[in-house]
Amino acid sequence: MKRRSGGMSVGVAVAIAIVLLIVGIAGGYFLGKSTTSSTNNNTINLTETGSSLLYPLFKNYWFPNYTASNVVLSAASTGSGTGQSSAELGLVNIGASDGYLTNASTTNLINFPVAISAQLIYYNLPAPLNGVHLNLNGSILAEIYSGVITTWDNPEILAAQPASVASELSAMSAQTIYPVKRSDSSGDTFLFTSLCYMSLASFPYPVSTSGLTGFSGANVLTGNGNSGMVSTAKGQVGSIAYIGISYEASAAAAGLQYAAVGNNATLANGTYAATASDYILPTTATVSNDANLGLTRLDFATYGLAVSLILGGSYAGATTLVHGGGGTNAAAGVLAYPIVNLEYALIKTVPGGTVVTAAALAATVAFMHWALSYGNYNSAGASSAWIDGVNFVPLTPEVIGYDNVELASVSGIS
Amino acid sequence: MSAATTPHRHRSAGTVAGRIVPFVPALIPAALLLGIVVELLISSKLTNFGLDFWGSNWNPPDHWGIAIFVTGSLLTALPALFFAMAIGLGIAIASTTYLPGWITRFLDPFVDLLAGIPSIVYGIWGYLLVAPFFGTVINPALYNHLGFIPGFGGVAPRADGLGLPVGIFILTLMALPITTLLIRDALRSVPRDLWEAGLGLGATRWETMRHVAIPYGSRGILSAAFLGFGRAFGETVAIAMVLNVVATYPINVYGSTATMASEMFLLLDSAFGNSQYLAALSEMALVLLVISLAVNIIGRRLVARIVTYEVAGL
Amino acid sequence: MASATAGLGTDTAQDLLFDRSFRTRWRLGFDKVIGWVLPLLFLVAIIPILDLVYYIASQALPTLTWTVLTSTNPYDPDALGVPILSTAAIMLFATSLAVLLGLFGGVATAEFLPERAAGWVRMTANMLVGTPSVVLGYFGYFLLVITFGWGLSFVAGSVTLAFFMTPYVFRIADLAYSSIPRPIREAAYGSGARPYQYVLRVAAPIAFPQILNGVFLALAIGVGETAPIVLTTTQSVIFPPTIYSPVTFLTGTIWENFSQPAGSPSLALAFQAALILLVVVVALNILVRVISARYQKRLEGLYQ
Repeated sequence: MKRRSGGMSVGVAVAIAIVLLIVGIAGGYFLGKSTTSSTNNNTINLTETGSSLLYPLFKNYWFPNYTASNVVLSAASTGSGTGQSSAELGLVNIGASDGYLTNASTTNLINFPVAISAQLIYYNLPAPLNGVHLNLNGSILAEIYSGVITTWDNPEILAAQPASVASELSAMSAQTIYPVKRSDSSGDTFLFTSLCYMSLASFPYPVSTSGLTGFSGANVLTGNGNSGMVSTAKGQVGSIAYIGISYEASAAAAGLQYAAVGNNATLANGTYAATASDYILPTTATVSNDANLGLTRLDFATYGLAVSLILGGSYAGATTLVHGGGGTNAAAGVLAYPIVNLEYALIKTVPGGTVVTAAALAATVAFMHWALSYGNYNSAGASSAWIDGVNFVPLTPEVIGYDNVELASVSGIS
Repeated sequence: MSAATTPHRHRSAGTVAGRIVPFVPALIPAALLLGIVVELLISSKLTNFGLDFWGSNWNPPDHWGIAIFVTGSLLTALPALFFAMAIGLGIAIASTTYLPGWITRFLDPFVDLLAGIPSIVYGIWGYLLVAPFFGTVINPALYNHLGFIPGFGGVAPRADGLGLPVGIFILTLMALPITTLLIRDALRSVPRDLWEAGLGLGATRWETMRHVAIPYGSRGILSAAFLGFGRAFGETVAIAMVLNVVATYPINVYGSTATMASEMFLLLDSAFGNSQYLAALSEMALVLLVISLAVNIIGRRLVARIVTYEVAGL
Repeated sequence: MASATAGLGTDTAQDLLFDRSFRTRWRLGFDKVIGWVLPLLFLVAIIPILDLVYYIASQALPTLTWTVLTSTNPYDPDALGVPILSTAAIMLFATSLAVLLGLFGGVATAEFLPERAAGWVRMTANMLVGTPSVVLGYFGYFLLVITFGWGLSFVAGSVTLAFFMTPYVFRIADLAYSSIPRPIREAAYGSGARPYQYVLRVAAPIAFPQILNGVFLALAIGVGETAPIVLTTTQSVIFPPTIYSPVTFLTGTIWENFSQPAGSPSLALAFQAALILLVVVVALNILVRVISARYQKRLEGLYQ
């Protein structure tokens, strides 16, 4: 009869293997702890989650270059809605959002702008249209995104273009429009629905990070995050998508072209003049102009730094969006690109819970000071290379001043 | 548990604790399952959404109809099951009957390996390589040649290929190792003398397979169907990546829709602060859980013995 | 089964061959054709898997440097050192917990439960194995992140993963102990062994390879899971210093980066993480097969 213990040899061999495996893993664990804690156990890891529009700035530029001792920052791209709710629940230190949070103070949050950004309207059309900037405005966009306008040769679109462009569009013979919307809860959606809501009285959807959930149809496409919007638009000829300016490079590489967006002065006539000055391309100057116009509506005492910069000059009230009431966007002679917004970092004002500890909060405030100064401006007083890298515009001194006031109100920070 | 190894249950003499304590760890699976159900019930706050819950109107924050997702899960899982069963049946028959042993010993592990690949790896491959292929080659071909069939025509398929076809393809690949494995096992369990009786009566291998082996193994084959369906039905991440999840009914076979699992996965982030949203998602999770459990129980009952397949993780 | 036809079948086939009626020739021909067609279905399984491996490798390898693989520099946004180490730590934690729960549970079921109760418990374990991972992710989120207040952390992710892996280990431990041959069992108890002595000293060496197999299987399944991890953790550029710290899992890296623009280093990072996962999972699967093949031989050897 075979010795039962003869069967042990396989067990022994495999046992040795498993011991080696465990030693390896455990060794990796401790190695990891030791190497990454050159950084010792006092390292504060500030977690950030939220807006995919802010993500490239945080992940590729600001966080890797913030070299304060004992502090590292980790970014995640999950959408503004997640950024808002994670910040509310105290699950992360910084919630990034393209849209301000109304009633932020009820959950001890402040709307803390860190940069000024813009949103572009990209489309995927064949040559020669991919070489020109189409003229579009808020009411056309609102009608596209409520299913009223469904083809690229719609008379309203044609009326806004110069003759040569209009004839190219008609030559495409009823090319379907494929509107692309975000599938995650997105600050970009918040901004875009703000634009549509203000431009068109009959726009049926609410202004929110998931405002376009009800917009569906055969031609409606979705993208997850800004990068998803780029790839979805790239994959479908005739698509139109709202994409944050920090993705300009990848959108260009994908063969997409952005539009010149007009203000609503043209709406008053019911027709859309094709005058060049009525349709504005996004540049640092035009974005700044719109920001300056919009910031005149800032009402710090009542709303803090929550202010909508969409259609900068066109209405009163910091956070009141007038439905379909967009008036003129520009003071005379001032070209202002209409889809501009403050990029918000939502941070708690009081520590609480395991993540937002007093030390973490202090580190967050320190980082914010850095972001307001070095992050936005270089030593020569011009916008920093990092801001330029994502095509943002630095904050105005007025906003920075208010930001500092807010930071001072964070508990325990002098 | 077969009779051959039915143990004589040893009853420890001595203390009550000595009698009870050994039993306790066995309760772990039950505790886990109970914990999941209870936790989901708690987070759903037992909100009664009424009949609206089973309707088709999903429009947070007002309407919570999950019919779209249930349909979407079925629309992706059932065709995938069909393909996985058909291909799995073919592979299993080939493997047990037509191919020499040395080939099957080499090829069978390949199929089983499909089961081990993480679903997110399927997802990234599907999203970046397979979907464009569907979008540029397969979907247009179907649209142009089969457009006359209702459902295959209508709105032209999108060029990036995301949608039902690629979703069903990926799910088929994920369900295939399970169906193949179980059908192979069912066919191998046919007694030899039954086989040889068939052949001895003059039937060809195919005929014996068809009239003798498959009916004999029909329970195992049915079990393969249930468990393969369960796998496809609960798949989350790969579907979230390749299906272009959007909460509508698909327009035609190239269209997009949403499944329960993928919608739950993608939407939890949006629902954090909103307790009604969380309640709706929790109840959807309960529905998914119940369906998965039912499918699993039925599938395993059919085989009437403990089936542990180490590689497929069944 | 091909061999089964060799003896008896030949005669019959010979008879059939001499039967020239159309029907018979059709039947034989069909059988022969099917015999060529069906094996081609293997290609349906094999071609995609080869394509997938080739694609992932071709996208990951060109930019895969030693630095990318090992850099734990928190200021380098495109490095895998931290995710790899973090994943190893999570798997160590989760597997230990899963083995603890599953092993004890499985042994208890196999040894100490009456037959009917054991049947119910096994059914429960089977149900858990089939549960979609997103449901378990919800459970982990609601219970661990919110109710227990652990936040999006290492411990929340690891424990959720452990819950996911436990039923697999449970079933294999149960099966391993249940399939100990009866003579050995009776010999042990007949010699006066107490239950713990039987479990530890008699049955364990025999069941050990199969249980080890189960551990590797659970590892292979756990390392590839995405949904439970994404719902219970958030990204971290450093290795988690405490168990309540955020942590980056390899599948989380893929999920975060897969929709980045083509050609960017972030997308390459996703592919590289996918390649590592593939290598680990395939290696574990092969290991599992090798062990189960040798275990079979061992079990047979016990009866000589």
